[in-house]
Amino acid sequence: MQKLGDFKLPQFFNYPPYFTLQPVKDTREKQMQLWKELILDYCRTQKIFIIEPEKEFPLFSNPAIERSLSHEAREVFLSALVSEGRAEWMDKGHRKCLILWHRIQDWADLILRFVKDNGLEDSVMTIEEIRSGTESRGTELHEIDRTVLMRALKLLEHKGKLTIFKGTSADDEGVKFSV
Amino acid sequence: MRRRPGIGGLQTAAAARDQYRLLGENVAKLRTDLMKEQLATFRSQLEDFARKHKNDIRKNPAFRSQFHEMCAKVGVDPLASNKGFWAELLGIGDFYYELGVQIVDICLGTRPHNGGLINLEELCKLLCQRRKSAREAVSEDDCLRAISKLKVLGSGYEVISVGKRKLVRSVPTELNKDHNEILELAQAQGFVTVEEVERRLSWSSGRATDALETLLDEGLAMIDDGHRDGKRRYWFPCVSSISAYVGAETM
Repeated sequence: MQKLGDFKLPQFFNYPPYFTLQPVKDTREKQMQLWKELILDYCRTQKIFIIEPEKEFPLFSNPAIERSLSHEAREVFLSALVSEGRAEWMDKGHRKCLILWHRIQDWADLILRFVKDNGLEDSVMTIEEIRSGTESRGTELHEIDRTVLMRALKLLEHKGKLTIFKGTSADDEGVKFSV
Repeated sequence: MRRRPGIGGLQTAAAARDQYRLLGENVAKLRTDLMKEQLATFRSQLEDFARKHKNDIRKNPAFRSQFHEMCAKVGVDPLASNKGFWAELLGIGDFYYELGVQIVDICLGTRPHNGGLINLEELCKLLCQRRKSAREAVSEDDCLRAISKLKVLGSGYEVISVGKRKLVRSVPTELNKDHNEILELAQAQGFVTVEEVERRLSWSSGRATDALETLLDEGLAMIDDGHRDGKRRYWFPCVSSISAYVGAETM
């Protein structure tokens, strides 16, 4: 089976027609389903948060069978993820796409669990500490995308679980948990 | 014999007819009894045989197939009913019903990918993967038998021959001769182009495109515009082995 790094590629990745958008509705739905799952799986295991459809991306071409996804196909698959709430376009031109293999709500739950597991219920942490501190090492929060993290934190702030405070620079931004 | 007039003559004739009939009946009864006896002997022998080789029949697909052949020759169908002696003795009925259910399951599971047409070889492979834990090996012959039993359901499960291969159809699509010829052509590489179909089958362009479009609409074909030569290829998942993997993933 073909691999990308340590990622096992599914068999359909080696079947040329899956790289052409299928005109027949049922076939296309199946095709989209397989691609959506592949994109989410790959991003989750490789911790990739942003896909830029106009740029090279390992999933978008398969040199072994000399096929690559057209720009239209990339946009169709990503848009399908967006419509399911598993991704978001970051700009109007659809040049960057934020991939949410966990929805923001799920990320927020992960943060709460992290806080409880580490007894940080009343503590203060900087954003950077959450992303790369010793506490988060080995958890899914490690090296989380900053945009995603901020969105999840804002959701929690909205629920009164924490307060975000700003320092003098972006590095100093932090949160006070009050779980 | 001189004709004997009067009522006496008529009575004698009637009596003679009765005698003849009685004799005829006796002979017929004798024959039937003999036949019944022979059948009973035969049946008990077949039962003995089945009992003796029960394990072989269950476990060895080649032996099972020969047993079926033998039964067919003498007009016995061990699968005709799940009740009755054969099913009880051999458990064969259950075996094929189980296979049937699993086959339906696989056909449904892979349908989005192959449009409801699957290579028999492929189906058998998937079936074996799925029955890993079961003790009995399953042959293509068993698959065919199970499928023939599915026909009773009227759901359109059918085996069609395309070239050298057998394909199992689980959708009511009627494939005409043109479609079959295209599928046969596609077996070589897994795909065809319009040009290739026209050249190899000496068809007009319209005929080739029409047939391919139908196959596409039925979900039996997928287009591929990605090749360097820029020619559209029509791929047929039912003749390539990929269906095994895609199907297995989603099941």
